[in-house]
Amino acid sequence: MSKPVRFERVLIANRGEIALRIQRACRKLGLETVAVHSEADAESRHVREADVALCIGPPAAARSYLDPDGLLLAAKLTGATAIHPGYGFLSENADFADAVEAAGLTFIGPTGASIRMMGDKITAKRAMRDAGVPCVPGSDGPLPADMEEVHALAREVGFPVIVKASGGGGGRGMRVVQTPDELTQAVTLTAKEAQQAFGNPTLYLERFMQKPRHVEIQVLCDTHGTALWLGARDCSLQRRHQKVLEEAPAPGIEPDTIARIGERCAEACRRIGYRGAGTFEFLYEDGVFAFIEMNTRVQVEHPITEETTGIDIVAEQLRIAQGEALHIRQQDIRQNGHAIECRLNAEDAATFFPSPGTITRWDLPGGPGIRVDTHVVSGYTVQPYYDSLIGKIISHGATRAEAIARLRVALAEMRVEGVSTNIPLHQDLLADPQFQQGGVDIHYLERWLAERTES
Amino acid sequence: MNNAPKLIPAFDTLPDPDEIARIAGWLADAGLESLELSNDAGIRLLIRVPQAAQAEEGQDRLPAPAQLAEATDTVAATAPYFGHLCLTHPLRDVPFAPVGAQVSRNDVVALLTLESLQLPVRAPVSGEVVDVMAQPGALLGYGAKILEIRPDHQD
Repeated sequence: MSKPVRFERVLIANRGEIALRIQRACRKLGLETVAVHSEADAESRHVREADVALCIGPPAAARSYLDPDGLLLAAKLTGATAIHPGYGFLSENADFADAVEAAGLTFIGPTGASIRMMGDKITAKRAMRDAGVPCVPGSDGPLPADMEEVHALAREVGFPVIVKASGGGGGRGMRVVQTPDELTQAVTLTAKEAQQAFGNPTLYLERFMQKPRHVEIQVLCDTHGTALWLGARDCSLQRRHQKVLEEAPAPGIEPDTIARIGERCAEACRRIGYRGAGTFEFLYEDGVFAFIEMNTRVQVEHPITEETTGIDIVAEQLRIAQGEALHIRQQDIRQNGHAIECRLNAEDAATFFPSPGTITRWDLPGGPGIRVDTHVVSGYTVQPYYDSLIGKIISHGATRAEAIARLRVALAEMRVEGVSTNIPLHQDLLADPQFQQGGVDIHYLERWLAERTES
Repeated sequence: MNNAPKLIPAFDTLPDPDEIARIAGWLADAGLESLELSNDAGIRLLIRVPQAAQAEEGQDRLPAPAQLAEATDTVAATAPYFGHLCLTHPLRDVPFAPVGAQVSRNDVVALLTLESLQLPVRAPVSGEVVDVMAQPGALLGYGAKILEIRPDHQD
C-alpha cells in the first residue's frame, strides 16, 4: 500500500445530515471542506458552511451524488485532495474508490479491494469463516447448477432455508424456503431476479433463522496494523429491512460474549488489511452469532457508539486516512451507559408515505444526554428526490431506562410543522412494554405494526 | 398497453414521415421525451418530443424560452455543467457575446473549462445580450446564470 498523502481540503460526496456530520469532523481537525451538491440542495446547511460550495448537477442523484466522473472533476477544480463518501450513494462502490485513488486523491474509507470483497456476499462469508468469525450454516459458496445437489445441500443445512443473491443486500434478492418442495422454484426465480437486478445470477443458501436479533459490531482500523472493536449495537427494530431505532449496547447480551465476537471481527480486519471504519452485521439467536455482511463505511447509527465509547468515529476516519496511527488502545475502550437513536423521517407515521414539503417549525429538544444530528433548519424544504431522513435524536443515559426516559422527554419536546414525521411512531415504540424489556427480534416491529392496524 | 406489438412498426426500412409524426404524437401523449429505433443493418432513428418533458420537469432543464420571456422579459444562458468560465475563445481576442451583441439560438456564448475539457454554453434564444453576470475565470456551478438575453420576438 502506498503511503497516504496528507490532505487539507476534503470533498464531501454526500448530502443531508451525514454531510454536515462529516463537515463538523473536518472543521474540528482544521480541515477545509468542499460541499458538492445538486440544485435541490443549494440551500442546505453544510453547503452554506463549506469553504467551497459547488453545484454539480440537477436534483437527480445519477447526475449529481452518484456521478463518479463529476465528483472527481469537482475535486480537481476545487483543490480537494480527499473524498469522504459518507453512507449510501457511492460509499460502497469499489470502482469509485479505485478511481479516486487512481486520480491521486485519498478515498476516506477502505481500499476498493476490501469493498469489492465485502460487496460479494460469498467472498465476504468465506473471508469471515477463514478469520474465525461465526457464520450461519449454509452453502459456503455458489449454489451448484445441479438441482439434486442443491436439494442435498438444503437438507444438510436444515429447513427453513433462505436463498440469497451473491450480489444482493439490504433485503433485496432473497427468498425464504420453508419446505423441500418449494426449493426448485425459489432457486429459479431468485436467480432470474438476481440477474435482472444485480447482473449476476449467482446464489447461495443459508439456514433461515426464525426470530433473530440484528446485532452489529463497529470496528476502526488504521494503516499500521491496529484494529479495534468499539462495541455492539442492536438494530432489530426494522421495517422493510430499514432500521428505525437503534441502541448500544445490545440489551441482555453479556459483555464477555460481545468481547469475544468483537475480537474475532478485529482479527478478521487485521487479516484482510482492512482500513477505516466498518461494521460487521450479525443475526443473533439463542446465543449464536451468524455473520450476514460487512458494511465498509460509516453507518447512520454510528452516534450511539460514539456516545457510549466517547470516540469520534468520523474524526478517526479522517485521521486514519491521513495515515495516522490510532492512539486509542483496545483495553482503554469502555462501554459507558446506554444510548438510543431514533431516525426521524419526513413521512406519515401511519402509512409511511414520504411527506416532502417545507418545514415551517422546527423546535429541537435538549438537556443532558440529548444529541441531535440534523441538517434541517426552520424553513428547510424536504426534497422528494432523496431519502426522507431529516435527522436523528440520540439519547444517552447511565442505564437503558434512563436513556429511554430522556428520549421520551426529547420527543415530547420536539415540534415539527409543515411535514409529517414518524415521531408518534417512535413515541409509541418507546412506550411499548416489550421494547422496554429489551431484546425484541427483527420481525417484532412489522408484527407490532400489523397488529396495530388490525385493532 | 394491450396492443403494444402493433404500435411499434417493423424497422426494416425507415418509416415514412406520416408514421414518424404519428409516433411523435404517441410519445407526446404518453409524456415521453424520445424514442430510439435501430436495426441490425445499423439504421438508427431518433424521435424527440421536447414539449412534454419540459412542461413537467421544470427544475431539471431550462424552461421553454417563450415561458421565461413572458415572466422576466430576458432569458439567461446558464451553465450546462460546472467549470471555470471562459467568455472569450482561447484563440481569439473578442468575447463570444459581449453586452450589446446579437446572438442566435444555439450560438456558443461562452465555454466552461474543466481541466483539459471545454464545454460550450449555448444561447437559449435569439436576441440581444443585455448583461453578463459572471466573471471570466470564475468557478461556476451547474445552472449558474452567465448572461441575460433579451429575446427578439416578444408577443
